[in-house]
Amino acid sequence: MSATIARSPQALPPARRSFVRRNLPYLLIAPSVIMLLALIAYPLLFALRSSFYFWNLQIGPEPQAFVGFDNYVQAFNAFDFQDALVNTLILSIAGTAIEFVLGLSIALLLLRALPGMNVVRALLILPTTIAPIVVGFLFRYLYDPGGGLITWLLKSTGLPIPPEGLLGSPTTALAAVLFADVWQWTPFFAIVLYASLLSVPDEIIEAARLDRASAWTILMRIKLPLIRRTAVIIVMLRFMQLFNTFDTVLVLTRGGPGTSTRTLGYSLYEQGLINFNIGLVSAMTWITVLIVNVIVALYVFFAFRNEEW
Amino acid sequence: MSSPKARFLTALTYAGGLLFLAVFIGPILWFLALAIRPADTAFAMPPQFTFEPTLNAFRHILVDPGVNGPQVVNSLIVAIGAVVLNLPFSVPAAYALSRFKLRGKKHIMLWYLGLLMAPPIAFLIPYFILITRIGLQGSYFSMVLVLQTMTIPFSVWLMKSFIDEVPAELEEAARVDGARWFTIMWRITLPIVRPGIIVTSMFAFVFAWNNAAFPLVLSARSTATLPIGTLGYFATSGVTWNFIAAAAVLAMIPPMIIFLVFDRYVVRGLTFGSVKG
Amino acid sequence: MNVDRMALSRRSLLKGVSATALLAGVAAPFAAPGAARAQSADAVRVLCVEDPFFFSLKAMIPDFEKETGIKVELESLSYDALQARLVSAFVAQTSDADVIAVDQMWLGQYLDNGWIVSLNDFIAKDADIDLGDFLPEVLYSSNMWRGQIGTLPVAAYAQGVMYRKDMFDEFGIAAPPSETSEDWTWTKYVETLKALEGKSFNGAPVFPTVVCGSQPSPIVHMFTQVSTSHGAGWFKSFPGAPWDFEPQLTGPAWVKSVEVYRALYRLSPPEAINYVWFDAGTRFAKGDIGMFYWWTPYFYLIKNAGYMTGTKSDVMDKYATAALPKAEGVPQTVSLGGWSLGVPSSSTRQDNGYAFIKWATSKATQKKMALWPDLNHQFSDFARASLYEDDEVKAIYPYLDIQLAMMKQGNGKVTRPPVPGYTALESVLGLTLNQLLTGSEDPAAALERTNGLFASILKGNFMIPYQKESFADSLDEAKALIGKLTKS
Repeated sequence: MSATIARSPQALPPARRSFVRRNLPYLLIAPSVIMLLALIAYPLLFALRSSFYFWNLQIGPEPQAFVGFDNYVQAFNAFDFQDALVNTLILSIAGTAIEFVLGLSIALLLLRALPGMNVVRALLILPTTIAPIVVGFLFRYLYDPGGGLITWLLKSTGLPIPPEGLLGSPTTALAAVLFADVWQWTPFFAIVLYASLLSVPDEIIEAARLDRASAWTILMRIKLPLIRRTAVIIVMLRFMQLFNTFDTVLVLTRGGPGTSTRTLGYSLYEQGLINFNIGLVSAMTWITVLIVNVIVALYVFFAFRNEEW
Repeated sequence: MSSPKARFLTALTYAGGLLFLAVFIGPILWFLALAIRPADTAFAMPPQFTFEPTLNAFRHILVDPGVNGPQVVNSLIVAIGAVVLNLPFSVPAAYALSRFKLRGKKHIMLWYLGLLMAPPIAFLIPYFILITRIGLQGSYFSMVLVLQTMTIPFSVWLMKSFIDEVPAELEEAARVDGARWFTIMWRITLPIVRPGIIVTSMFAFVFAWNNAAFPLVLSARSTATLPIGTLGYFATSGVTWNFIAAAAVLAMIPPMIIFLVFDRYVVRGLTFGSVKG
Repeated sequence: MNVDRMALSRRSLLKGVSATALLAGVAAPFAAPGAARAQSADAVRVLCVEDPFFFSLKAMIPDFEKETGIKVELESLSYDALQARLVSAFVAQTSDADVIAVDQMWLGQYLDNGWIVSLNDFIAKDADIDLGDFLPEVLYSSNMWRGQIGTLPVAAYAQGVMYRKDMFDEFGIAAPPSETSEDWTWTKYVETLKALEGKSFNGAPVFPTVVCGSQPSPIVHMFTQVSTSHGAGWFKSFPGAPWDFEPQLTGPAWVKSVEVYRALYRLSPPEAINYVWFDAGTRFAKGDIGMFYWWTPYFYLIKNAGYMTGTKSDVMDKYATAALPKAEGVPQTVSLGGWSLGVPSSSTRQDNGYAFIKWATSKATQKKMALWPDLNHQFSDFARASLYEDDEVKAIYPYLDIQLAMMKQGNGKVTRPPVPGYTALESVLGLTLNQLLTGSEDPAAALERTNGLFASILKGNFMIPYQKESFADSLDEAKALIGKLTKS
């Protein structure tokens, strides 16, 4: 398929026709690109400019002074920046890994294609359809130290829970936030990996079986490499969604106790929409954007290096 | 086939299936129970699995005083608005990316994907200041507009996968008949991919419906969406859990219905069309 | 610093965004909902916060509409949402409301930026507002900034002690006193609580007390009562002139306050580390807490089991109230808080706005709110001195003498200084306190670190060194202003 699709008799004057003809695909893409640039690049440039000013909406409605890189220095030295970065990375890496492995095991179970398992598969996706903020409320209820179902289940199976409650202890709070995410998104991995594994041709697997390859070898050497592209995309997606976590944290813990569940997203929210320190939050925005870009760029470079589109 | 080992494996598979259902569906049912149980049994220890169901919470959120009724409408306006506005931008782009050989196509596609992963809160705050200064803070439009950062890239990806499936021969035939590219796209390709457009719109609707970060910052009381409504029951002077659960259940219903009805497209929707499912 | 040029270029930036909006071509059907609505002259839009007083105020609205013929549009929001809404409305200079609820922390910022109008002229011209009936401590703490009355109090809170009479009797513990005295100190308070440690009551284990541990606001609101009692100030010189915001979080009074609060947490249910305002009250109402101190609205809120249920709690007839403990040899200071109403300068119906505020804060309306029977009688947060003498009201709220005594020792400008950028300081202090409750860190070291963070925030906000004019802000100064406005 090529741009020569417009090679038909036309009513347009020749000069314009050739312009349209030459640039047709780009003209079709342009509106969406312009729209997205306006929505994202504009605010970011605005933030870049603000980040060099002292501008606190609690003190005055206009930027109050040019301060150079002071906001960036403040952001790095802020009491919560390092903790938030570490928490965000733990959450993203552990969350993605756990969800992938659990999801893969469920997918393999579903692949056994027993009667009735179709219903399981269809219902399994439901957690993924729920708004993350609602999942936050759901788990706050389940974790309640007084009458939460999870607290009760853990207690009655004799597992130790901290007296402050699962969300109250610095040792368990981040894990509890992580578990809520794992609950919501493991089905996502399960369903997607199941569908991709289904598409692996039977003949290849039969051939491997004849070669006496073990189930494990077939999985690692044949099945997984064949669904690599899908896996690469969903892992990246989940990683970044976890990296941006903020509304679940807002509902579950507000970043506490201490700084144990603070994420970059939540810190941005607090500086911007509770403290209204626009200059500082702009600097933090740019630091975050740079970190995200580095991660995505590295990942894309290695994951899609040999892909053709 | 029904050797003891095979039977054991079958039993194990069913047991696993049931366990997973309990783990992943159980909490949802427990939240539904919270919405219809008497308020004073919500935190009973040990948990009460049987109770006299009541619709009081739903009456409170929908009828008297019924704060969340209008929020259902707001959620619909914002989510449908976000989907409708996105189509004129994403359909042509998806068509171009599917039908033409472009320089840098891979980079364009990855750029869209990258936008889907940008931290929303990062550009949300400057966007909030800008939208406030032009006096659109609190409007439906401010939310519909910023949701395009999600709906356009998502729709371009998913729609492209549907257009890819339309055989090129159909268009070739029309071209031989002398039709212009626009006529071809409008009269031939788009009608064929209409189911794809519907599926895409449905999933875009779910993403917009579930988004809480944007309305949290951009909505006013009269334009607040349902997820924000759940937050409203978490006041400084108290929290009413059964109202939260009732509003949450209300917010869960449309996405669940869409996912169950469009079951065979779920995988495709969740992977932006990269897995056919 | 070149503020003008920045503003100009931002305008051009905005033009670009507006153009984008037009490009989308669908702006019209999605226009801002409030903007197009016609402003009718005989209406007033009130933006309120959903605190306990809201419900009884709402019930009285028909009276106001009948008396004045002005129609009221009353909206309530949560604390965070209200603040975000107000700041954004001010920045956009849109007329969103004619009356707004203002936290004392926001007052200086709103008046300094001209976001709300000074009520001095309205009050001076008003013959029957009876300004002298307001407790001067409340007006000073919540409503005055740089010699201007910016708001009037619709609900005033002090802090006080609540305890279980039946439990104290059972264990033979002397009831805490209803008056402030050298015999009732924080040391004594902790000792009394320790007598309840490990005890069972009605077959269930008892927790001596309950505190709020959640950061940032709840723990700061509760802890600052202890620190203020101990004379621990935030800054070198504020509210007295000349203002100097060099932070003073180090020193023995702060360390002692942290030790007291830590001791209180150890005597609380461990999950109190995540407790916000209402959690402490709800927990007391459940019946396994011996004694705690908190904002005075909890004097009546704990009568209810659960929020907004209207059902009576188990402790309904079993609790009593008492005076707050003080620190040895330090004059007592009580934390004052609450909610006030002000008129935004963008409002085109400022007279209606003032009329509503005058009505809502009047003795008659406040009394009617107190007598409103729903939710087990849910309002006694009076700023008006005369209501504390009213027999009808006192019959329903037997603790009013104690509440008044606490109010009269109140000073909200010292407890939580309402300085610009307060929330950033509060989030740092709240975090440190929260960490100190569960951790084992030495209080002095943690406070030293927090002091450094305070200094860097204040320097970043151009508060150190303070470059603007100071204002000698004292209770006497406030009383003089009240006298002046009453006379004219």
